[in-house]
Amino acid sequence: MSRKDEYGALRYNVALSRMDHVGVLRLAGDEAIEAADAICSGDLWVRDGRMLQTLILDDRGKPVADVYVCPDNDVCFLMVEGITTEDLSACLAQHVSPDLDVQLEDLRPGHELLSVHGPYAWELMSRWLTPDIIGLPYLSFYRFDRGICFRAGKTGEFGYDLMLRKEHVADARQELLELVSAFGGAEVSLDTLDLCALENGFFSVRHGSVEGLTPIELQLQWRVSTRKRFPGVAAIEDRRVKGIRRRSTHFVARDGVKTGDLIRSSEAPVGEVMSAAFSPAVDGIVGTALLDISVAHPGIDEFVVHDGASTFPIRTVSSPLLLNRSLLVDPRRHSYATREDAVHPPLWPGALP
Amino acid sequence: MTPDLSEYIRSRVAILDRVRGILRDTMKLKIEPEAIDPDAPLFGTGLGMDSVDAVELVMQLDTVFGLQLAGSPEDFLKIRTVNAIVDAVLETHDES
Repeated sequence: MSRKDEYGALRYNVALSRMDHVGVLRLAGDEAIEAADAICSGDLWVRDGRMLQTLILDDRGKPVADVYVCPDNDVCFLMVEGITTEDLSACLAQHVSPDLDVQLEDLRPGHELLSVHGPYAWELMSRWLTPDIIGLPYLSFYRFDRGICFRAGKTGEFGYDLMLRKEHVADARQELLELVSAFGGAEVSLDTLDLCALENGFFSVRHGSVEGLTPIELQLQWRVSTRKRFPGVAAIEDRRVKGIRRRSTHFVARDGVKTGDLIRSSEAPVGEVMSAAFSPAVDGIVGTALLDISVAHPGIDEFVVHDGASTFPIRTVSSPLLLNRSLLVDPRRHSYATREDAVHPPLWPGALP
Repeated sequence: MTPDLSEYIRSRVAILDRVRGILRDTMKLKIEPEAIDPDAPLFGTGLGMDSVDAVELVMQLDTVFGLQLAGSPEDFLKIRTVNAIVDAVLETHDES
């Protein structure tokens, strides 16, 4: 299956994906949430059964892990991308007081993660699991007999991450694949998930190097507390006092732009490309650039990338780029079977430079 | 920087600052304006605003900028982030 077909399945119908890149740690005990709070950069104001997106930073304030914190009574699940569960356990051992009542368990040996995405993912999940799943709010989770269903996703479409006990994985995967096929969908790769995350402005630890950067340059301040201490907080405070010189900004281009390219105005360099990928919806390149703070704004057409004899114009844009189908598909009125009856605007309402 | 670009950025930053002010003073976000990133999601994850906040925000944007939104999904696209709001305000001003 081509990348374009995978992309079409996810953006227009449904997609199934393995989530081998995600680690899950279970913290148990009366002080499980306090232990998570000690290592995560955000304020963990989150109720049982809900999920909160945060980060783990290194001592220089660089994001090293993208984290969901999911408390449930005296248990807290941490779903992490960017570091292994072994690294996460080491981080907890380093930063959490040994006096806290908390026990760690790496769930990956006994579980696997699959995910379902797409504008009709809610309908597929309602058939596979229960019709009640349609009412599950974004960033919350639901226990069932074979595992836990997390309503999450980083694609801009309806998304469900399924943590399944190992003994149920083969059957569940086969059942889901049959439903995905019935919904005109496909199994998609991590590359396709990452492209969709890039288009919708989700941070990913795989979207280029963040060396020397903090959540301030990356526009992730909403994941950083100003009220508590956490690993990397000194670097964040220092950066806030001194101000930032660069900021992550999204862009589109017709072609010719790749990760690491220098971006220039007519006078001088103004930044560099952090990540870039071909987007079928845009029919061109989408990406993020680290731009000088004086010009780190959307709507600018004056910058170019040089590649030998060729010059490629870029246009800075607001994020998220897409008008996702999942914003337009209403489970009360729409269904996969009647999808042709609805007329939707294009995924990307913009124009290339 | 060309004069046109300089003027564009000046206009953009002025609107950006006013939108951040609305979010802090009217929407009661307990966050300093400079900590509201222009591309941070306003709803759900991100700054955590909800549908009630959306109604209030739409009213404020109409009052302050004359930005009229009908509540369609396409209109929601225009208030997903501060930068999206700035885009919509600039577009409205261009049209008028």
